[in-house]
Amino acid sequence: MLAIGEIRTGLLQNSTAVPAALTTRALALLPGELVRSSERPIAYAVSPERLTGLDCRLPTRSRARARGVGTAVTRAAITGGRVLQASTRTVLMRAGTDRRLPWAHYLARPGVVEVTGRAGFADVADGYLGVPQQSTLDLAALNERLFDDIVMRPELDRRPPFRVARTTLRWVAEVADEPAVPVRRPPRPAGDGDGAGDGPAQAQFWLAGGTLRTARLALPADHLPMVVELCEDLALHDWLLTTVTGLIERGRPDAAPGSVADTAAVQRIRPAVDHLLHLWMPAARVDRRLLPLWESLERRPGFTRQWDVSVSRIRDQIALTTVGLLGIVAEGITRA
Amino acid sequence: MTKAEMVFGEVAAQRTVASVPLSHLSIELGHLYREDLDAEDINGYGRRLGHHFKAVRPWVDALRQGFTDVRPGRAPRISTCFLVDDYFGDFSTPAQLVPALVTAADSVGLQIDYLARESGCADADGVPLAALVEARLVDDPPPDTTGTRPPARETGWLCNGQRTPASAEALSALGGWAPPTENGARNHSIFVDVELWNEQDGRRVWSCPFLAAVWQLLRLGLLRNLGEPVAVPAPLSLAELPETWAELPPVAQLTPRPAPFSAYRTASVLASRFLPVELAVRTILSQVHVDPEADQQVVRRSGAESVALPAEVVDRVSYVFLS
Repeated sequence: MLAIGEIRTGLLQNSTAVPAALTTRALALLPGELVRSSERPIAYAVSPERLTGLDCRLPTRSRARARGVGTAVTRAAITGGRVLQASTRTVLMRAGTDRRLPWAHYLARPGVVEVTGRAGFADVADGYLGVPQQSTLDLAALNERLFDDIVMRPELDRRPPFRVARTTLRWVAEVADEPAVPVRRPPRPAGDGDGAGDGPAQAQFWLAGGTLRTARLALPADHLPMVVELCEDLALHDWLLTTVTGLIERGRPDAAPGSVADTAAVQRIRPAVDHLLHLWMPAARVDRRLLPLWESLERRPGFTRQWDVSVSRIRDQIALTTVGLLGIVAEGITRA
Repeated sequence: MTKAEMVFGEVAAQRTVASVPLSHLSIELGHLYREDLDAEDINGYGRRLGHHFKAVRPWVDALRQGFTDVRPGRAPRISTCFLVDDYFGDFSTPAQLVPALVTAADSVGLQIDYLARESGCADADGVPLAALVEARLVDDPPPDTTGTRPPARETGWLCNGQRTPASAEALSALGGWAPPTENGARNHSIFVDVELWNEQDGRRVWSCPFLAAVWQLLRLGLLRNLGEPVAVPAPLSLAELPETWAELPPVAQLTPRPAPFSAYRTASVLASRFLPVELAVRTILSQVHVDPEADQQVVRRSGAESVALPAEVVDRVSYVFLS
């Protein structure tokens, strides 16, 4: 079994943080279906799931033939009234027959794509994370369409306070066929969790260039339902980090303290302070059984470490600019 | 040492889907259209209904026996229902027709537990059932559907494959006409294209097969609105029948303590002329993504009763077609 998915993350196109009631309306994509939401530890709402039928070639590294028939599940989530994510996933499973079955068969297994052909799942995983291959499974397009649908919702004013790039996280989770058997392992004291050595769960994360990121996970089958939340959380925090780092770079911190350029630089990083800094809350909704995966990502590439450095840089710059401005004011008072 | 652990949960973050009572089998004793009842006098259609139920009776017995054989020694929960078409134009009145129906069924020893009206499948007490089902359609994808483009839809239509290309460019690219094809056809295609609705006088009118598909999903206990059951049967006294169909509940309960309206499986005993309609119904049902939680409830409960149930919703629906 192989779970694959893609997550598009971007700034919600609205001038202010969207309040919870409007968020819920903006995400009501399916009539008769509830939008799920929670307020703590951070405002979060997720749309009903949209299913799309697929019957196509799957990408493989070896270019061996693999065909998939089934459905992918797409949903949208809004965090903190500020960040919009579209997330599509499916689970690839070996088909019982080479024939295309009646469509009702596939709809009875929502979110599963049945695979025929010679290619193995590792080959498909490599193909999916590699260079895009023409006329193969395109989960990115499903996210794009959902993103566009939400952007056009009347609840949003489409006047964002600043412009930043969207990022894409493409992920695969190789699933061990046997469920994890936790009793086999001796219990370990809390705080001693070492993801790499903790059973079959593993995570790797790459910046694949531009705005594309890839992640490769390995986990036991009974952890599969929680993996989407983990990847969405990963994508959210990577986007926050990318965006805040970008805003700092745009802020030109090399200007002379107290100068006009310096004040303007602080103005440019202000959106980060106003809209984004409070959203950093890694693993807030991640099932605790998958926390070792987050922890391993925290060691390398070390999201929170880099975030803390960025936040310190912003604070330092604001502090220095303030000191510079105070100096100018003090000078003015002395002269007067 | 035990470690205390706080579990944080918020009600709003949970998705709750109410369950509905379920029989083993829902038998539809018939489907009544206005054209079936153009006779002026009530005695005239009383006789026609009598003939209808007489023809239906042996098949109802056979369906009951089938369930008794599966679960020997235990009485199966079986409910019966009857659908009146009040959607495509009003006819007669409940005060006239319902007693005639009940009497005609009774004359051959059949009971109608639930009487439903077709317009209730479009809108049940303000819940737009047909629109909710339409929103849950997931098109059967033809080969090479990668997701890059949205499904090629003809507004208001649903098919089971690929239509003949309509544009001149597409035809010339193919070098002429190409036949429509059924997805997953075995050697030869049986291509079906179903009209779901059209516009009449600026108003959306749902097609008979689409409403019949909603009707099947209702009987299978698979429809919810915001997690709540829809078209819940309401008791109806034969002594106080209204003059218009709109005053009747979408599903009216006519007998005192019937088995639940919805069931694991449905069987409909219908005249053969309904065959094309039901082919269209099955084409639609094959492309409805029912609420997974509602479906899981049905699957779990049938499993707990050791009643075999196909995973495919459309395969829970069966028919007897009469000449």
